[in-house]
Amino acid sequence: MKRETGINRREFMKATAALSAASTISSALWSSAANAAMTPDNPLLDETLVKKLLEAAMSRGAEYADIFAEDGALSRLKLDEKKIRSAQTGMTRGVGVRAVIGQKVGYAYCEGFDEKALLETAKSAAYIAAEKPGTVGKINGHSKCPSINIVEINPGDVAAAKRADLLFRGNETAFAHDSRVSQVIGAYIDTDRLVTIASSEGIFVTDRRLMQTLYFYVIAEGGGDRRTGFSGGGGRVGFEFYDKATPEHFAKEAARQAVAQIGALDAPVGEQTVVLSNGWSGILLHEAIGHGLEADFIRKGTSLYTGKVGQKVASELCTVIDDGRIPGRRGSISVDDEGTLTQKKVLIEKGVLKGFMFDKLNAKLMKEKTTGSGRRESFRHYVMPRMTNTFLAPGQSDPADIIKSVKKGFYAKNFGGGQVNITNGNFVFEVAEGYLIENGEITKPVKGATLIGVGPEVLKHVSMVGNDAELDPGIGTCGKNGQSVPVGVGLPHVRIENLTVGGTDRGKN
Amino acid sequence: MDKKSIEIAKKCVDLSLKMGARQAEVYMENGRNMEVTARDGEVETLKQAESLGMGLRVFTGKRLGFGYTSDLSEGGLKDFVKKIIDMSRVTSEDEFNNLPSESVSGDRPDAPKTYDEKVAALTPEWASKAAIEMEKICLGSDPRIKTIDDVGAGVYVSDTAVVNSLGLEDTGRSTYVQVYAGPVGADKAGNSQVVYYWDERCFFEDMMSPERIAKEAAKRTVDSLGADKIPSGNMPVVFSPEMTKGFINGLIGAVNGDMVFKKASFLSDKLGQKIASDKFTLIDDPLRDRGTASSAFDGEGVPKRKLAIIDKGVCKLFLYDAYTAAKAGAKTTGSAVRGYSSLPGIGTSNLILQAGDASPEAIIGEVQYGLYVTHMMGRGVDTVTGDFSRGANGFLIENGKLTKPVQEVTVAAHMNDMLTGIDAVGDDMDLRGSTWAPTIRFAKLTVSGK
Repeated sequence: MKRETGINRREFMKATAALSAASTISSALWSSAANAAMTPDNPLLDETLVKKLLEAAMSRGAEYADIFAEDGALSRLKLDEKKIRSAQTGMTRGVGVRAVIGQKVGYAYCEGFDEKALLETAKSAAYIAAEKPGTVGKINGHSKCPSINIVEINPGDVAAAKRADLLFRGNETAFAHDSRVSQVIGAYIDTDRLVTIASSEGIFVTDRRLMQTLYFYVIAEGGGDRRTGFSGGGGRVGFEFYDKATPEHFAKEAARQAVAQIGALDAPVGEQTVVLSNGWSGILLHEAIGHGLEADFIRKGTSLYTGKVGQKVASELCTVIDDGRIPGRRGSISVDDEGTLTQKKVLIEKGVLKGFMFDKLNAKLMKEKTTGSGRRESFRHYVMPRMTNTFLAPGQSDPADIIKSVKKGFYAKNFGGGQVNITNGNFVFEVAEGYLIENGEITKPVKGATLIGVGPEVLKHVSMVGNDAELDPGIGTCGKNGQSVPVGVGLPHVRIENLTVGGTDRGKN
Repeated sequence: MDKKSIEIAKKCVDLSLKMGARQAEVYMENGRNMEVTARDGEVETLKQAESLGMGLRVFTGKRLGFGYTSDLSEGGLKDFVKKIIDMSRVTSEDEFNNLPSESVSGDRPDAPKTYDEKVAALTPEWASKAAIEMEKICLGSDPRIKTIDDVGAGVYVSDTAVVNSLGLEDTGRSTYVQVYAGPVGADKAGNSQVVYYWDERCFFEDMMSPERIAKEAAKRTVDSLGADKIPSGNMPVVFSPEMTKGFINGLIGAVNGDMVFKKASFLSDKLGQKIASDKFTLIDDPLRDRGTASSAFDGEGVPKRKLAIIDKGVCKLFLYDAYTAAKAGAKTTGSAVRGYSSLPGIGTSNLILQAGDASPEAIIGEVQYGLYVTHMMGRGVDTVTGDFSRGANGFLIENGKLTKPVQEVTVAAHMNDMLTGIDAVGDDMDLRGSTWAPTIRFAKLTVSGK
């Protein structure tokens, strides 16, 4: 077990870990098939126990308490060296209890649903306060959460061999694509979680959350060069999703990326005009501005967007939206992890900052309302304000005209991931597939480089926005303070002036 | 690990064999943690938990199945095992699917010390006091420090056990304690910076005082105020010990036996060859007393030993677990790492870059114009291609002195050139955490800025 730097303050978003040998799927919970009894009609803990736990959590004077119970499982198939290398299944059940007084939070969790252990857990959470007991509000019965995500075929009902077939099909396609393809790694993961959320304010709701992911990672070799490609997709969807978004499509795309970069030139150095492709490039928004608009950083005054509502923080071409209610997307949740209905929020309208993303704690302390942005990785983690699906609204420009408008520049077609420092706004993102733009045309491939900038500066330098807005195919996971949650991002083609490209070829500068 | 848990693990292994597995192995983990952060002179968050989980790996014929659960009740066990055995039927046959024959039970005389009673006994009151004190010191140390991003302390105690159908029964026990501070400073123009400083140790008495951590964090934050871009250029680049840690950790992906076997590492065909400067010696030492990642056995119960991965620039070995070693016709190096919810992977324990004899002052002092890097962002090394490109913060070096803070630049090169171009290794070994490293200097990297 390796534990490096204790501090994971990084906001890191990346394509689902591809080659990592130890590829753990974090500690999050997941479920698969066999659990036919899983239904949000009934809560995971009954009302009497829920009340007892809330009372215990507030027994030392907390103003607010909540409970997050989950029961879920994961199944994961991995293809490697043309074989189904492993089949995994995981089951997790447990409860997290939170007690809040002012800005102080007590949090405790335990595995399983044993009443005695749960009461001890609630008492541990209560420890944060040391006053008279708080009052638990009336719970008016349990409610099932109406889901915004539509699932026709539950992946759990699909035979394992049929799920494995997705991987074999992709494997075959990738190898058939080009003789230079040397390795194909694929994974199919499906998870099914039931969560019951209850609070001292009377919330008592159960939500069922399904998720699927399929991806391929391809290595191609030729002329002494070795390059990689990655493609995948999924979301809160049923197995029917892969009838249209086929494994052949993803595998071919991963193979295309790897092969296209063989013989790629060194990336240029210095400030360039950069064009971002549509879709997954939305990580630009996620990193450059999204994290800085999460209310915890605002309340603590550590975000450089603190106090800037109503001010111009981006080019007027930029309208940025966070929407947790787009059916089927990774960031789409019917209620957030505090039981609040999710929303569509306009964060920036025509360049002007409109507001922040709130969970209950930060909303209360800042005298605002929660925006349904309270999320957590699992019952083992406390709630923080987080993004859901974050995207840039479409503009007027034809993407072809955007490319044509650039005499000399850099085209970023694909990204690995990104990271931001909230305090100074510095962000990076890693180009997985990049090209030179010469005289209005996309020309030679260049090796993966890093783009770096300062959030607000970069958004001010957006000079063209395409009309081809698109969301990513469903591969994003966002990390904050050591917690990972699935998210969506989106962007049309965008032209940005003076973005620093971190390559090694100074001649092209 | 308590007897009851070991009994459950054994029962699970027996059940697997009865239900059709050829071999079975349980990895069990029992953890306790307590984490505190402070703000405005009081505790901000207090998190406490105890958790127990187990992972079961079975080989049904030549097929592999794996599953994990936190439900260790007897009733749940049977369903758990059945599900994993059923799942394994979908996997492909693979002749290398075997438990390691090298796994050994029992105590080792040279087993490292990994458990400190003092750490195990630390209370929320201790952590609260440390965190509150650090916030106060940060805020009081300089008027430009306006708030904190986070200050906190945490304690972790874990018990692990590996039990398998070859008769293996290994247990391990470890502690670590962690303290960190991240003050936020702002300059006159309102531009902010945060720099974290931290310590993480297995034994309490090895740890720096919270006071020292807070003071160092505050100093580093204030020093970084006013950071700006510098012009692009090729120049000598010095990595602080923290950055060296990240660099050598990134390199490990390239000596991972699985990646090497698949020719998915830029070092795949470099065994026995000179790949780095003479000054570069990289060691994995799992047997050091009080190392935060020390252990006598790996995640499959194979005895661990000290491994010289790169010796004076020569690539000496690749890292293997049992499966990958069998496949590659090598021997396991005892490098299986795991948590209960994952299959064994390949990794290191205490990764050490051997110290050199130059002082960090001399390493910087010899540079006419260059960059001293104290923070990096982004993925780091692409171990498949060997490309390196990261965002960097730090200081400009002019005439042997650190002159002004730098941000929003990238540092890039190919790993082959980086490794051979290391022309100085410091004597300032940083012993915090599980990766130990000194200051290093690269003769020439590409810095991209203005």
